[in-house]
Amino acid sequence: MSTRAKRGFRLKEWIFTTDHKRVAVLYLAGSFTAFFLAGVMAMLMRTELSSIGPTITDNPATYNTWLYFHGAAMILGYLIPALTGFFANYYVPLMIGAKDVAFPRVNALSFWLYFAGIVLALLTFVVPDPPDIMWTGYPPYSIFSPGNTALYSFTVLLMGFSSIAGGINLLTTVIRMRAPGMTWNKLNIFVWCTMGAFVLQLLFVPFIGVAVIMLLLDKYLGMNFFNAAAGGSAVIYENIFWFYSHPAVYVILLPAIGLIYEITATFARNRVFNYKGTVYGGIWGVVALSGVVWGHHLYVSAMPAWLTPIITFTTLLISVPVGLLVIGLLGTLYRGSIEFKTPMLYASGFFFLFLIGGLTGIPNALSAIYSHIHGTYWIPGHFHYVMAISATTAVIGGVYYVFPKLTGKQYNETLGKLGFVLFFIGANITFGLTMYMGAAYGMPRRYYDYAQFPEVERLQYITTLGSYIILLAAIVIAVSWLHALIAGKKSEENPWGSRSLEWTHSVSPPPPGNFPEEVRLADDWDPYDYTK
Amino acid sequence: MSEHPGVGAVDGELVWHTSVWPFLASVGLLLVLPLPFMLHFVYGKSVLAAVVLAAGVVLIILTAAGWVADGLEDVHGYGAGHSVWAMPLFIMAEALIFVGFLAGYWMLRFSASSWPPAGTPAKEYAVPVFMTILLVSSSVTTHLAERELEPERESRPGFIFWLCVTMILGTVFMGLTVYEWSTLFHEGFNLGTNVYSTVFYSITGLHASHVFAGLGIFVCLLIPALRGKVNIPFVKAASMYWHFVDIVWLFVVTQVYFW
Repeated sequence: MSTRAKRGFRLKEWIFTTDHKRVAVLYLAGSFTAFFLAGVMAMLMRTELSSIGPTITDNPATYNTWLYFHGAAMILGYLIPALTGFFANYYVPLMIGAKDVAFPRVNALSFWLYFAGIVLALLTFVVPDPPDIMWTGYPPYSIFSPGNTALYSFTVLLMGFSSIAGGINLLTTVIRMRAPGMTWNKLNIFVWCTMGAFVLQLLFVPFIGVAVIMLLLDKYLGMNFFNAAAGGSAVIYENIFWFYSHPAVYVILLPAIGLIYEITATFARNRVFNYKGTVYGGIWGVVALSGVVWGHHLYVSAMPAWLTPIITFTTLLISVPVGLLVIGLLGTLYRGSIEFKTPMLYASGFFFLFLIGGLTGIPNALSAIYSHIHGTYWIPGHFHYVMAISATTAVIGGVYYVFPKLTGKQYNETLGKLGFVLFFIGANITFGLTMYMGAAYGMPRRYYDYAQFPEVERLQYITTLGSYIILLAAIVIAVSWLHALIAGKKSEENPWGSRSLEWTHSVSPPPPGNFPEEVRLADDWDPYDYTK
Repeated sequence: MSEHPGVGAVDGELVWHTSVWPFLASVGLLLVLPLPFMLHFVYGKSVLAAVVLAAGVVLIILTAAGWVADGLEDVHGYGAGHSVWAMPLFIMAEALIFVGFLAGYWMLRFSASSWPPAGTPAKEYAVPVFMTILLVSSSVTTHLAERELEPERESRPGFIFWLCVTMILGTVFMGLTVYEWSTLFHEGFNLGTNVYSTVFYSITGLHASHVFAGLGIFVCLLIPALRGKVNIPFVKAASMYWHFVDIVWLFVVTQVYFW
């Protein structure tokens, strides 16, 4: 293969880079920084909750700041940028045979807008009045709160700009820059998934922008959107906010499940089962239905009675395309020749965690049941299964999978597997018990202290121990990556034997311009063709 | 410029492309909006806010100039006319911001006991009708400007003429917004007077900010055009944006003024 850029590290070439692979790496660094900080907040909260009464802080406001930062940073700072920033940026041009994205400078701008958002988020720890409004920022509290609501609004706005710019860029890239012979039905499932995610970003991010602009206008310019005394209504915020924020779950789910598809097909050495059903029914079905599911967040927020059963129905409906996505995955395993390397272990973990997360979501869609379980630990237990740990298995498994491509080095299998086992055990203890405390004891969520619920103290303690196992897993995973970076063996060009374009047509790591020559694909080429 | 977009060769060596503008643009944006807003409204440090804002404006102008100049030179060989595909996607996202505000308006209006709420002055129709005429004709002049660049004509002076006419119409429109707002303020119809004032100022303000952005884009077309540089896909994309700003105004004017 052709020449590689053999030059030393130059900071200027990273900060001002417009190359999609380097922008992707910047996203990876940014998102793992956010993951680390938000994880620290989670450990502080879990430690505080390990016993009744003040454990490590006697100030509930401090706890509220942790809660705010944990949610905002995990979703806006870690999950969305890791999946739609790092993986989409890195893979999409490589998978479609393009030299870069359509607008490389806009791509760099997307990253730096996101970075500016992180800078604002970090000001939380500098300002005298940190936000304390969770990641949802519900009025009227966010209007009357002594905390700096503007910091929250602008963090969301900057990350929103970043998402919209990135989405337009990558959609244009896929539409316009596919290599000759790369027809629509030969795209990798991951590319389809990112397209779905970016369409969702373009359709729904504007609404969270509107919601937080309204917060700014109300709180600082004295407007009346949410001021009931002047005829406003806080329910407007809840509607507009969840109109974005429920689809945001699919912005995370689609690229995550796309990564799991790539890993599964490669390690099962098998075609993707029901490709067209997965793409046109599963992925685009999720996109099509994601605009009618927000209402289930508002069952107890002054929703008209006639609307409730309709929302219950439309919310349940989305399990049909999601079911198609899961069937496609399981069918890809069928008669495969499965090899359980570390990325495949994470994919298997995803099957289980996503199954639990999906099934425990069904009661939340049913309005009669929801009105009893809302506001309990059941809810964070459920959404941590879906968003936090399912998506994180995809991110971490995806990083192990891309590691040889990204760095040219191979990680240590034993360390990789050990990290997975610890993560899987810790995650299930932590969030399984969280759900159980909600369903069995009605333990309310968001509480700093729970003196009224002494019966859950032992469970809280075990849950905290579970979260320490996750911390241990995170350390093992970080060590395995650092070890591979510093002392890892040189990887083969295509260590997994994948048939996909990024492995077969480009060296590892790929040089500027990705491919040594113009990519042209034969008529019988297919990214999942393992029959030859 | 290299033969392959994205790959430049210096002494036979592959290079990683760089551009300082994305980084500076993001710093500029931070200095223009979030920081001065918080300094002024949250922490009451208005002088510092003004200084930060001024620095941000300077940085944004420099960045826009550098960005556009590099783009016209096409130093990295990026130019492939993708912008006419990207702009419709961007417009879709922009349109949904208006949908969000209008949805808030409809929710407020349909749950109100009476409309317009107390404290709203009598409606004034002459100014919005005139503003509509201005904006619709500016859409026509944009189209005329764009047509001057078609292969059979290729008249750069014609393009510059119609572009200037469009910008004048847009600027007069902005001026009328300022006039209308100040008149209403004098009548005691403030941002926080009632829910209608909230809706009125937020939606017309949102639209005015888009007109302002459109004028900024036109400046980025005009200055290079005066120096003899025109990028046709960029002109087409800018023209699409201006038509969008015009069409959205029709929704704003019918929903907020005449209904």
